[in-house]
Amino acid sequence: MVSKKKKKYSSGEGAQFMTRKAALKKLQLSLKDFRRICILKGIYPREPRNRKRAQKGVGGIKTLYHTKDIKFLLHEPIIWKLRELKVYQQKIRRARAMREYRSMKKYLRDYPEINIDHIVKERYPTFVDALRDLDDCLTLCFLFSTFPSLKKVPRDQSMLCRRLTVEFMHAVIAAKALRKVFVSVKGYYYQVEFEGQTITWIVPHHFSFQPQNKDEVDFKIMSTFVEFYTMMLGFVNFKLYHSLNLVYPPKLTSAFSADTDKDLIDEHAYVSERIAAMNLSLARLEGANDAEELPEMDIFNTEDDDPQKLEEAKQEAEKVKKLKTMFKGLKFFINREVPREPLVFIIRCFGGEVSWDRDHFVGATFDETDESIAYQIVDRPTMDKQYISRYYVQPQWVFDSVNARSLLPINKYLMGAVLPPHLSPFVDKTKDQVYIPPEERALNDPNFKPLNDDQSGSDIEEASDEDKEDEDEPNSEDSDAEEALAKQYQQEVEEDSTSDEDEDNADPEKKKIAKEKKKAMAVTTGVPHKEHPYQKEIEDKQAFRLREKLVRKKHRNLYKSMKAGQEQRKKEIWLLRKKRRLHDEKVKENKKNEKRKQKAQSLEASV
Amino acid sequence: MSVVKKKKRVSKKNKKAWGKYCDIRDVEEFLEDQRLEERLGKFETKPDSELFVIDTGEEAKADDEVEDKKPLSAKLQKRAKLKELPRCFEVLMPTSKVQDPNAKRNRVNPIGSKKTALSKLSEKRKTEKKIFEKKLEEAKKNRKMARDKKRKEKKVRENFNLDLWGNDLPEAKGIPETLCHEFISTEAQLHNVLTTQRLRPKPPVAKTLATRPAVEVPHPGVSYNPSFKEHQELLQEVGQHEQKMMKREAHLLRVTTGMFRRVTQQEKENQWKEEMSAGLPQPHNPANDPEPESETDNEYKAINPPVKNKKKDHKARRKQKEQILEKERLKREKINKKKITDLYKLRQLQSSISESEQQQASSRDKRVQTRAARAAAAPPALSAHAAPRPEPDFVDPALLSGDLRNVKTNSNLLRDRFESLQRRGALAASKVMMKKKRKLKSYFKPGHKVTDNDIEKFLKRNAEKK
Repeated sequence: MVSKKKKKYSSGEGAQFMTRKAALKKLQLSLKDFRRICILKGIYPREPRNRKRAQKGVGGIKTLYHTKDIKFLLHEPIIWKLRELKVYQQKIRRARAMREYRSMKKYLRDYPEINIDHIVKERYPTFVDALRDLDDCLTLCFLFSTFPSLKKVPRDQSMLCRRLTVEFMHAVIAAKALRKVFVSVKGYYYQVEFEGQTITWIVPHHFSFQPQNKDEVDFKIMSTFVEFYTMMLGFVNFKLYHSLNLVYPPKLTSAFSADTDKDLIDEHAYVSERIAAMNLSLARLEGANDAEELPEMDIFNTEDDDPQKLEEAKQEAEKVKKLKTMFKGLKFFINREVPREPLVFIIRCFGGEVSWDRDHFVGATFDETDESIAYQIVDRPTMDKQYISRYYVQPQWVFDSVNARSLLPINKYLMGAVLPPHLSPFVDKTKDQVYIPPEERALNDPNFKPLNDDQSGSDIEEASDEDKEDEDEPNSEDSDAEEALAKQYQQEVEEDSTSDEDEDNADPEKKKIAKEKKKAMAVTTGVPHKEHPYQKEIEDKQAFRLREKLVRKKHRNLYKSMKAGQEQRKKEIWLLRKKRRLHDEKVKENKKNEKRKQKAQSLEASV
Repeated sequence: MSVVKKKKRVSKKNKKAWGKYCDIRDVEEFLEDQRLEERLGKFETKPDSELFVIDTGEEAKADDEVEDKKPLSAKLQKRAKLKELPRCFEVLMPTSKVQDPNAKRNRVNPIGSKKTALSKLSEKRKTEKKIFEKKLEEAKKNRKMARDKKRKEKKVRENFNLDLWGNDLPEAKGIPETLCHEFISTEAQLHNVLTTQRLRPKPPVAKTLATRPAVEVPHPGVSYNPSFKEHQELLQEVGQHEQKMMKREAHLLRVTTGMFRRVTQQEKENQWKEEMSAGLPQPHNPANDPEPESETDNEYKAINPPVKNKKKDHKARRKQKEQILEKERLKREKINKKKITDLYKLRQLQSSISESEQQQASSRDKRVQTRAARAAAAPPALSAHAAPRPEPDFVDPALLSGDLRNVKTNSNLLRDRFESLQRRGALAASKVMMKKKRKLKSYFKPGHKVTDNDIEKFLKRNAEKK
């Protein structure tokens, strides 16, 4: 008997793929509905390995789906809902055409809602999965929250986005989860950390809504994405609030509660409402303790416990801990020309208190006249009335402090000062073998003291020729204030550090006596085993070389090239540093000469 | 005479047997009496008037009257029975004399009972005050509120009052409660889940979607106040990108439009003239006349002269042969010589071969690597349209003000998102097709057309009137 001939494309890649048209036919849906359900369920078109075979011999490029994916869609209960909706839409259309507005209204009122919470659960089986995929969701929700009602976007969607985003920001504030901020031309990049997952999103600068070109973006599709994302964000918010012991639907200002009838039509009024909402503190669940301290980091004995790595991780944890309470107890006042939203969010995230002009915007908590304000954030060159009790800084100080994870010295960020560049915190730190100019290094870690910084340089000069001091001061008036502040800052730091030492230094005589007494009591000391540091170094080096010898032949070349690269980069850095040093010395020399000349000239003039 | 019954011996072993043969009626009667007393009140406490009736002989009279009465007809009997409480409802009636604990129980007249004079009055007053209408309206409002509230509570979309990731219990997965047992295998449990409740493992997502980040790390040069170096790097990047694009454009232009010869309008016209006048008799042009030949002896001359078969002689043939042989010999000799010299050149040859092979291998490796890198970064081809390529963000140095108040942007975040989705393969790239507005042809009805003539006429008439 001859076996039946196998049909072509009934197995293999031809059977694995399905064109969009075939999928539509199989699911019995219209293209519109199919698109919607695909986005909701997260089914995307696929690229085949062999297009000709996947398209069953048909040429051209067609949108292909996995047959398995389509079969997966086939079981979705929402498909039935969509079919029901189709009937419903027909009814509405008919009522409109027949001018039966009463029934049309009724249909519109009772329009069935599709519930997609099970899809959220299905796509993200665990909470961490959902957090991992939150980047896109947050960016789109923040973007849509700025939109007015558009033709293809459901009316309540932007409202819902507004509510959910504010709720999420509140969760971030409560959890103190913000880690990095970057102000770019595009918008604000924020990075938060929840449950070990870093989430990055962009918030656009607040401009009024920019009209979009119709042919650039398909609003219908984006709106469907947002539909899913709002659902997801809502449940994520719920979970976050509960894990933070907060009451979930938080009581925000009236503009955000769902049951208000009036909408805020004025854009500015809405924005100020939103910011005011952010300045509220949320209701905690009963019995929840406010200050929940994270336990100390556990140390597990892993196979490759590198003490250096462990130390690094510890330091990182310490830094984060410090960052979380960076602004605690500090009061900030924001001038009206500064964009308030990002600043309120950031300052509240690290425990600060914020307020603004009570006359201009709602939600202010204290007045400008409050003497306990520590910092006033201004973005203008001068101010008429200034308080001595507070610092007037530019907004970039806040962003840079967050990225540096400590309060930066304010002398570079004072009102009217030319700001240092705002660097990105997202640069890869693994590339450590590059030359970093001292200015940038000072920005990155505040503990770094450049050897020949401008200020220290000038100090040395002043010390070396004191007679010049009198002449110097009137000449450099503008730099004077800066120096004074820097000095003040340094003094403060010193005072803090010396306060502890004072107690120790008390009564040196007593100590001496105590020491002598101790000596008298002591037993003759044994001779400890002395370690020669130099000898040890040599031994270490030898051991290292021995280990190098043991590198397998397979990896030897790689190792060699790695080493050579390291050497080369080191050399480059050294060269650049040397160049810089020479350059700085030259500049200094020139300055000195000039000053000497000036002095001579002035002497001549006086004579 | 009473017969004394012979005593029978019976067992009174247990309670049941004891009760069977003992006369306990008096005890029970006593208890019954006591219960009755409890219900009806104590016998001793009741006044005499309640317990006793003075016999006036009326009862006998009544008995007599009954006897006088005619028996009721069947119809009347039925009617009389209507007033009675139906037997089926007797259960509902209180049997006990214990007083109703709720003294102020609102007695409701059964529906259909006659209105009393008082109720009539109050009803009238209420209708005059329009209280009923108000009540109706309020009820309607309340009903609507209740409905709305119910509807709102149902809306998961706005409430989110559900801990989606909280309970990982089997019941939450749709497994019936009866099957939640440690001895029942998971296959059997899952088998019994309704299809609509079953959480199927989702097919894995495409690699491009899983690996590519949704929000890309920004270039440090796009900061609103960038450092000089980073900004320059960004500008370099943009410049290089632009150069590449220009080169590509130039290439396309050269390959398409530039490939074809251009014909000027004049040339085209001339060509047309020539083509159109092909075969037509030309006007006589003396300049075009062939030049008169100098020596015309009217002799016939073929264009190509006749071929002569000129034979080579023997000597020439021999010479030719010898030359060929000599050439061949020299060639052989050269080859033989080279063979010997090549023996000494072997190492050099080998090294050159290996060198070229190495070069080829390395270039092949490089090619493979670049191709792989390009494929890894390329947007997936999901439809006939190509996804837009990523472009570096250009920050115009003129627009950098350095302060937060005057930040200007030239990027469209929504478009960025849309394109990012396309590049990751979540959306098939497409061209948004704009709906064409249907052009309606407009025309005047012939009688309604207003021409210049009409206007003139109108103006003239107006002038005449004045």
